[in-house]
Amino acid sequence: MRQLLIDIFSFEDRPRFERIGFLIFIIIVLLFPWIVKSAYGRAVMIKFLLFALFGLGWNLIGGYGGQVDLGQAKNVGFGAYATGLMMLWWGVPFWITVPIGMVIAAAESFGVAYPMFRLKGHYFAIATLCVALVWKELFVFWDWTGGARGVEIPIRPTPNFTYMQFGSPVHYHYFIFFLFLIQLLFMNWFRKSKLGYECQAVRDNEDVAASIGINVYRTKVIAYTITGGLGAMGGSFMTVYYLYIDPDFVMPLDLSILIAMTVMVGGAGSMWGPIIGAALLIPLDMYLGAWLGAQKRLGIDFMIYAAIMMVIAAREPKGVWGIIERMRRKRIG
Amino acid sequence: MELTTQLIIYGVLMGLVFALIALGLSLIFGVMNIVNFAHGEFLMVGMYIAFLISTYLHLDPLISLPIAAMAGYLLGMFSYHLLIHQILRGPMVAQLFGTFGLMLFLRYLAMYIFTPDVRSIKTGIIVGKALTLGWVSLDLSKVISAGVCLISFGLVYWMIYRTKLGRALRATSIDSEAAQYMGIDTKKMNALAWGIGGATVALAGSLLAHFYYITPTVGMLFTLIAFAIVALGGFGSITGAFLAGIIIGLIMVLSGHLVSELKFTFIYIVYFLVVVFRPRGLFGW
Repeated sequence: MRQLLIDIFSFEDRPRFERIGFLIFIIIVLLFPWIVKSAYGRAVMIKFLLFALFGLGWNLIGGYGGQVDLGQAKNVGFGAYATGLMMLWWGVPFWITVPIGMVIAAAESFGVAYPMFRLKGHYFAIATLCVALVWKELFVFWDWTGGARGVEIPIRPTPNFTYMQFGSPVHYHYFIFFLFLIQLLFMNWFRKSKLGYECQAVRDNEDVAASIGINVYRTKVIAYTITGGLGAMGGSFMTVYYLYIDPDFVMPLDLSILIAMTVMVGGAGSMWGPIIGAALLIPLDMYLGAWLGAQKRLGIDFMIYAAIMMVIAAREPKGVWGIIERMRRKRIG
Repeated sequence: MELTTQLIIYGVLMGLVFALIALGLSLIFGVMNIVNFAHGEFLMVGMYIAFLISTYLHLDPLISLPIAAMAGYLLGMFSYHLLIHQILRGPMVAQLFGTFGLMLFLRYLAMYIFTPDVRSIKTGIIVGKALTLGWVSLDLSKVISAGVCLISFGLVYWMIYRTKLGRALRATSIDSEAAQYMGIDTKKMNALAWGIGGATVALAGSLLAHFYYITPTVGMLFTLIAFAIVALGGFGSITGAFLAGIIIGLIMVLSGHLVSELKFTFIYIVYFLVVVFRPRGLFGW
């Protein structure tokens, strides 16, 4: 038990500059609402934390596991719809809907992972994409999910913790930061766990991993299942934060891509990569999108995205974190 | 009965267009083992070329066929030399993201130039005309498009299986290293595969534009249809792509008649089932 707590909360094995950087990051996020008063700035920060959270979850399968999953949005959708529909129908408190959404997403991931991991590489990536698209089309088609009209969450007259509805964005800021920390600590435990090492072994060389007694297939299925559950947590947050969800908003392909891309840009398979990636891409997305949108120049922000993507793929597959690591190694000598 | 016949004919006609779309993807995959996510975007480029020629130059959209094929060839060549060549050495993740980036870039470039509005071609010799054969009445544009696709497919097939260049291409796809020892310039073969892939799919796009709506985001759908066809036919198999194209065309038209909202869902499900239960595809080896 004690060892488990140490594994979760300890960053002792990381170099000192990482620990200091992480501490500074936490202080900045905690003080952020006092420093920045503009509603837009706060919204950017909340979206950044949300995508950092998504990135942490995706990093498990995409970074540590080395399997390119292009369907994470379906898990976000499961979480969002589990929370939204249960609140709308039965008034279930938010904190009960979160684990239910995570279990649903994990169960679905487990179900499709079972046949899907007979595939490798490109085939697997396309299959994940297809599964996510099928779910999205079904959620549009079905009536009981609200179809394309989506689900609107009834607004409560008083702020409360049961349904996580507050008047000011400051509450949401600390709320998403809390969820983010949960996933960060989980990932901190995961990277040091047996499963974490098994995943990395599978990523680096499947044959060698199998030869030292790792069940490759089982490791991949478990990693994919956990990733599904982690994605749903952010989805639940989206429901109570935006108070409105529809399949085009919480399950689109663009969301899957953006999640995978933040991790790729930051550095897949590293502890801080998803956070760095989200810190670079989300403000860029929101400010650039707002600025270009005001000038009626649709699409340029995505073209810049795409250009970054191609350059990263061609020049620096390990992302920003890869560059930082290389610089450090050079300095140490 | 009449309706069923008509649906089956439409299915086959759509299938022939799909087969030409999937041909390039299958070829590229066969030669260098890389999946091109931007494939549908090449198609979209072909569609917009037809649209531009018909709407702004006031010429018949049929004139756009050779222009679109040429543009597609150049686009494929450019993409290979500027991007694909760079990412071939990298890990698989980088390859995926590279072609995905290309896809997003082309899509949003089109969005920027043409705005997200839905367009269609309204004038042209074969647009909106009907062809009556006995008791069935068919859309002339679909018949002509399917015919052109069949001829183009035949030409590429002939090139690959009957010419020296095609033999070099096939040798590269079987074993790139061995082909290099035999004195084949594999880099040139790779570029050629991209060129042919781009040309055929852009040609299909300019034909498709005669009867299908045009938007910047239309590509993704056809990329996925092409994936399904290539998976069903067996990755890298040209004959397989042809037969699978017709099968997918039939599935789409028939299921679209039954539940029109889910006609593409059926295709995704077919893809999923095929890759999971028979990864070699129906005609793969």
